[in-house]
Amino acid sequence: MVRWGLVIDLDKCTACQACVVACRVENNVPIGGEEEVRKERAIFWNQFFSEIHGEYPNVRLHMFPRPCMHCEDPPCVPVCPVDATYKDKDGRVLVRYDKCIGCRYCMVACPYGARYFNWFTPEYGEGHGNHLNPDVVRDGEGWIVGPSPRPRGVVEKCTLCVQRIERAKEEGTPLGSEHEGGVVSACAQTCPAFAISFGDLEDPSSDVYRLSKDKRAFRLLEDLGTRPQVYYLSEG
Amino acid sequence: MESNTTGVSSALRPLAETTWRFRILVVLLFAVIGWALYAYSVQLSVGLGSTGMNAPAYWGVYIVNFVYLIGLSAGGVIVASLAYVFNLKEYKPIARIAELLAIMCLIMAMIFVTLDVGRPERLVNIVLFGNPWSPLVWDFIVIMIYLAICLVYGYLGTRSDIVAAMKAIPKRARLYRMLALWYTDVSPEARKKDERTLRIIAMAALPMAIALHSVTAWILGLMKAQPGWHTALLAPLFVASAIISGLALVVVATVASRRFLHVQIPDALISRLGRFLVWLIPIDFYFAFAEIITIQYGREPAQFSTLQDVVLGPLAWSFWTEMIVGLLIPFLLIVRAKDRTPRRVGLAALLIFVGVFFKRIDIVIPSLIFRWLPFPPGGYTPTWVELSLMAGVYAFGVLFFVTFAKLFPLVPLEREHEPEAAEEAPHAEALLAEG
Repeated sequence: MVRWGLVIDLDKCTACQACVVACRVENNVPIGGEEEVRKERAIFWNQFFSEIHGEYPNVRLHMFPRPCMHCEDPPCVPVCPVDATYKDKDGRVLVRYDKCIGCRYCMVACPYGARYFNWFTPEYGEGHGNHLNPDVVRDGEGWIVGPSPRPRGVVEKCTLCVQRIERAKEEGTPLGSEHEGGVVSACAQTCPAFAISFGDLEDPSSDVYRLSKDKRAFRLLEDLGTRPQVYYLSEG
Repeated sequence: MESNTTGVSSALRPLAETTWRFRILVVLLFAVIGWALYAYSVQLSVGLGSTGMNAPAYWGVYIVNFVYLIGLSAGGVIVASLAYVFNLKEYKPIARIAELLAIMCLIMAMIFVTLDVGRPERLVNIVLFGNPWSPLVWDFIVIMIYLAICLVYGYLGTRSDIVAAMKAIPKRARLYRMLALWYTDVSPEARKKDERTLRIIAMAALPMAIALHSVTAWILGLMKAQPGWHTALLAPLFVASAIISGLALVVVATVASRRFLHVQIPDALISRLGRFLVWLIPIDFYFAFAEIITIQYGREPAQFSTLQDVVLGPLAWSFWTEMIVGLLIPFLLIVRAKDRTPRRVGLAALLIFVGVFFKRIDIVIPSLIFRWLPFPPGGYTPTWVELSLMAGVYAFGVLFFVTFAKLFPLVPLEREHEPEAAEEAPHAEALLAEG
């Protein structure tokens, strides 16, 4: 069994947010525009957070990226009335964009705010629009779950770059951060500080397996019992 | 026979006559609906971006109204079925109004859900690919069963009066025959069979009404990501406020029908309904108090933050409106028995009915605004599209009600001249049926 996951080392993270940009380009994430960002309708499959802890002079600024947690017990999956979102056999939480009715119940159910709605027809800037990722990934029943532009009125989210992983499996390319040149998610590949590792949490020889057992490892909102497959290594 | 005919025609008079005020009302309602259709065309062509919804206010007034109307509908049926199950004859005159309101509210609730989804053309997916673990699917199933029960109940309860109307107003005979589903047998045997079926359905309707509102509460209450909803109290609280708001709506509609449609309902009945409302208000207070003291004492951060948002946050006006205008003032208005005049009870019911809407806002919106991760603070203001559509759906509801008020007598006909005509006096019913 395979269970894809990420480990994000916050000690290595420089908060450059290249992962956020790489994700948008890889996955055809539409540009909302300033106005929509102000209305909190921007889409970030991988969203960057900054939080100030403490009071002057004992202040610490914490920053971290938040992809979808791909929980082992995803609260978003059982609530979907039409079975449009599901946990696939490789442990990813995916959305069948052409099945989704746009009720946004999954968004309400997700404590991480990792799901985003297409309030408008997706729009891309000229540069981005001319270089959309042409990949299309379908599930076993033929529903589109890959990065082709989503229609208006449906929910979308991080897929752990399902198109990269499926292609690598077809082509027999090694997968995971532990391999030299191994295929990884766009956020992991682009990180200049090697803070993000991608791999199979079930494989004892993988980086993510080893790092997820690290003393510094923690998961977001662990008390809610969602058991995320995205681990963080705390700042020292 | 002769005396029955005159009785019937006086009760049926509102059906045959149409005043100019009524015509103006209908024109106005159509105008509001037309405007709402324009707003919907905007929403369909632009997307849900034309509404005020956003992250984290994933749901807005559409869902607030959905939850509200489901409650109103459940409340109406609880009142109607109690009248039948316990054979409380004095409440039977309002049972039909309650039933009609229940059907109206259900239809309106379904319209609001349809307005809320991003891809309405895919709603059929709920039937094709329904996920049995989704509370939305449970709700869909319960709504369908409930609607079926209400329609059968409404049909059987009015059938003999439709036949009476068919005979009294010959020019609409064809329409009435269709509304009676071509089943125009009003012989004592047929009516007895109707009565029996009605009582069985009334017994089924009561638990279904409670189920309907509980399942709707569980759509919200089972979400551990929403600290404001995630409490076992939510379903009982919804049922309680469903009963009070549903009853309040029945009272408002009854008083309004007396005033504007000249439907004959005795003052005593209205003051008795007022007494019910007085008893129900403290239950609502009690639930609110139980909820607040539990959260306030424990100060569990997520729940506490949501509570603070409800009581002191930007939507606090809604909470306090509900508490003071929606519960306290109506309570004071009708707490003394001698104050329970139809006018006062009607006013108190109107306040309760509107107040519960604010309660729904308090439940739905502040919990959504709460976020576990350090997102920028959220907010929600509905746009003209949402408000227009809301006005349109309510205009549709009123139109639905007055259309049926023009088609059927709102009060069962036997009431007019056969007050004893229930179980004990099948002969009287039989005589009436022939007349």
